[in-house]
Amino acid sequence: MSMEDALLTFVSESRELLEQMEDALLHFSADPEQINSIFRAAHTIKGSAGLFGLDDVVAFTHVAESVLDRVRSGELEVGNEMITLLLASGDHIGRLVSLVESGSQADDDLKADGQMLVDQLKAYLSGSVAAVKATVPVEQEVVLEKASTGDALTDNWHISIRFNEDVLRNGMDPAAFLLYLSGMGEIISVAALTDRVPALADMDPETCYLGFEINFASTASKADIDATFDFIREGSRISIIPPRSQIDAYISIINSLPEEDLKLGEILVRCGTLTESELKSALTEQLDTESVQPIGEMLVEHNQVHAPVVEAALARQKQVKDNKAAQASSIRVDSARLDHLISLVGELIIVGSSASLIASRIGESDLLEVTSNMSRMVEEVRDSAMSLRMVQIGATFNRFQRVVHDVSQELGKDIRLEIHGGETELDKTVVEKITDPLTHLVRNAMDHGIEPADVRLARGKPAQGCLRLNAWHDSGSIMLEVADDGGGLNTARIRAKAVERGLISADAELSDHDIHQLIFEAGFSTADAVSNLSGRGVGMDVVRSNITALRGSVELLSQPGEGTTVRVRLPLTLAIIDGFQVGVGQERYVIPLEMVEECIEFNRNQSRIDESGFIDLRGEVLPFVRLRQLFEQEGQGPARQNIVVLNFAGKRAGVVVDSLHGELQTVIRPLGKMFRSLPGISGFTILGTGNVALVMDVASLVDMMSRRDQQVAGGAVVVI
Amino acid sequence: MSKTIMIVDDSATLRQVVSIALKGAGYDVLEAGDGRQALALLDGRKISLIISDVNMPNMDGLTFVSEAKKLAAYRFTPIIMLTTEAGADKKAQGQAAGAKAWVVKPFQPQQMLAAVAKLVMP
Amino acid sequence: MTAKVARHAIEGELTIYTAAALRQQLLEWLAEAERLEIDLSRVSEADTAGIQLLVAAKHEAGRRNRELLLTGHARPVVDLMDLFDLGSFFGDQMVIVSRTL
Repeated sequence: MSMEDALLTFVSESRELLEQMEDALLHFSADPEQINSIFRAAHTIKGSAGLFGLDDVVAFTHVAESVLDRVRSGELEVGNEMITLLLASGDHIGRLVSLVESGSQADDDLKADGQMLVDQLKAYLSGSVAAVKATVPVEQEVVLEKASTGDALTDNWHISIRFNEDVLRNGMDPAAFLLYLSGMGEIISVAALTDRVPALADMDPETCYLGFEINFASTASKADIDATFDFIREGSRISIIPPRSQIDAYISIINSLPEEDLKLGEILVRCGTLTESELKSALTEQLDTESVQPIGEMLVEHNQVHAPVVEAALARQKQVKDNKAAQASSIRVDSARLDHLISLVGELIIVGSSASLIASRIGESDLLEVTSNMSRMVEEVRDSAMSLRMVQIGATFNRFQRVVHDVSQELGKDIRLEIHGGETELDKTVVEKITDPLTHLVRNAMDHGIEPADVRLARGKPAQGCLRLNAWHDSGSIMLEVADDGGGLNTARIRAKAVERGLISADAELSDHDIHQLIFEAGFSTADAVSNLSGRGVGMDVVRSNITALRGSVELLSQPGEGTTVRVRLPLTLAIIDGFQVGVGQERYVIPLEMVEECIEFNRNQSRIDESGFIDLRGEVLPFVRLRQLFEQEGQGPARQNIVVLNFAGKRAGVVVDSLHGELQTVIRPLGKMFRSLPGISGFTILGTGNVALVMDVASLVDMMSRRDQQVAGGAVVVI
Repeated sequence: MSKTIMIVDDSATLRQVVSIALKGAGYDVLEAGDGRQALALLDGRKISLIISDVNMPNMDGLTFVSEAKKLAAYRFTPIIMLTTEAGADKKAQGQAAGAKAWVVKPFQPQQMLAAVAKLVMP
Repeated sequence: MTAKVARHAIEGELTIYTAAALRQQLLEWLAEAERLEIDLSRVSEADTAGIQLLVAAKHEAGRRNRELLLTGHARPVVDLMDLFDLGSFFGDQMVIVSRTL
């Protein structure tokens, strides 16, 4: 643990807080705890930045915090304008934090932005600044103007302390203050005043009766010495007299303190602060000046502030929501460590399956039992390790509140975002990769999907458009939906465009649904289809390829006049799956188990079937492909083969393989760059035998076959 | 035997930095993210000083301090509250709860060490 | 009839946490004998409240015309008495070792 680590914590924590702040601003309500949480975010960032001396961050955050403090106290009201300003301020803090992370300096643009925001924020403050700090008592200085007896000769400070009776009870130990003082100079001498300690029988042993007169040699400033007593100033009498002060200063101590004058004077002498003769003249002088010099004028003395309301503290406690309880019992783990754990679990699975394999070869029953138990345990370890990496989609969804807010303003449309299923969990790595495609879909829906308010009103819809983000689990997949209540897709226009671009022939017979999917085709989305809003010229085809790269699929549903829904299906996790092992010749392939529906025996001698590529599965047309052909493997294959029926997102297809080898846990490893674009393969895995098996990409396989289905529509169907 | 200091703040950054500084100065450090966690750690072990933020989720610093002060083992434990300049009213409430020492945020680690040195003998 | 000498020891903390109980103890001890010797060698920790209590005991002994002798001062006690320069006040033999604080 070093300061560098702490700085990294600062960066990630600040980002998290800014996200919370943004989230709260976008859902702004007058709930005091919510306002407080926004304030707290700014406050915490300021406090943490101060620890590192990040003055830019402190200075800027301070202004934002002051505005939020006024909001919290009810002095300022929050309108849309302020929310926009606070959002922009949050962004600015985020940029400053990024600079901290990269170790670079703010450029002029950023500084100008910051100054502009500060000016706007300060405009909110200027109205009501005045009365705030008036309650802080002004510290009195020892001011002595009356010239009289001349200066004392001592080169040392003299410090006189009579402690507040409660210091000990308050946990403050005078000894600690003396030691602290000795760190700033040299305590030449101390006289502990024990006179006020009562009789043992009468004393309260937790009350402080002691006082000290201290002769102190130091080059420290008065303010620094004074600061020593910050925590005990209240209710204590503390006098600090600089070296070579006028004798009057000492007289005033003698006057003001409860001890007998003579005795105290002697103490001053004993301390070495005053010489005998100085004392003598002081005591004489005192007689003359007594009436002039009111006791306590130069003593810094504060009355203890009585607590206005203890109830207030208790009431606040009740207000504090419990919804952060879960957060309290969680720990932060570096995701790299988690990834490491998961890759170790991956290795464990491979070693485990080797052990099982050897056990079954040996056939020793005890060994088999142990290995099967171990496999089960490994499976549980895998599941719980994977679950560590599962995060709720809600945080990602919530980020779109900002996108929707900003884009709405850009477009001049009033659009609200509804989120459903935010608690649905999926693998962190999937979350990270899906954010970009989702952003694109959200912007697209707002730009093209939702009509302008006047059109909506004319169509009898509410003026405010609605965008919904949904998530739910569906058989080993997570489903994400971006739905708008806009006008729906213009089927005829899409068809015309597809024909124009040569994606389909002019006389192709396609259902509306199929036509809608065409917008995911490469070459369909062009600059005029994607508004400049996205600014990246990214088309829907990129969205789809991003999603299929995650072994997912995307589908578009549109109802004219009612809206458009883009439904994304993704695997829950990328790294480890339950697989189904099949063989072709000596090669082994693994199919994600959740996508295997059934296995049917397939007779090669039914040679007619080979030509068509379709079979009749209990009255349903099932397209199929031979893996041997698909991957151009040599040889004929046995007489009895099998068809594995795959189901992906409601579409079915068959794969013909030589042999079936049952279920296994599979750690998917990515293919090297050279092979990454191979159709039908999403990765490889190492089997217990040490051999490599390819992992089939069912999504692209099914897709490939169902499209072939369309193209050859009307081809002969063979009954087996 | 080094003395133990407890730092209670919802900012992990702050806890980390203060903790680094205190450990560097030879203290043992206990960390808690809010009042509730902190209270759970007060199991009678000797704690020479508690440093606590005011505004925290779950249980705020004022409640925490007044609860801690009710425990016999921590009746006289000195408490530093972390506050803002603007927190005059909080300060009064904190006084009532038993916190007499205040350090204003933002502070630098050395400032915290100085405050600690005034309250805990090495 | 009071005994000539009573010998006792304070063990563990000589702090604000134990001060109330120790005060009671000291009152009893002071009543026991003309001369009270308190062994401080097993004091594990001391603070100002503890030292102040010893000051009160010393006063009390003087008031009752008894003798209070502190012996074997443990390190924490020495350190504090030294810091407050109370060695001569108690007048006991005390090994002053330079502070290693």
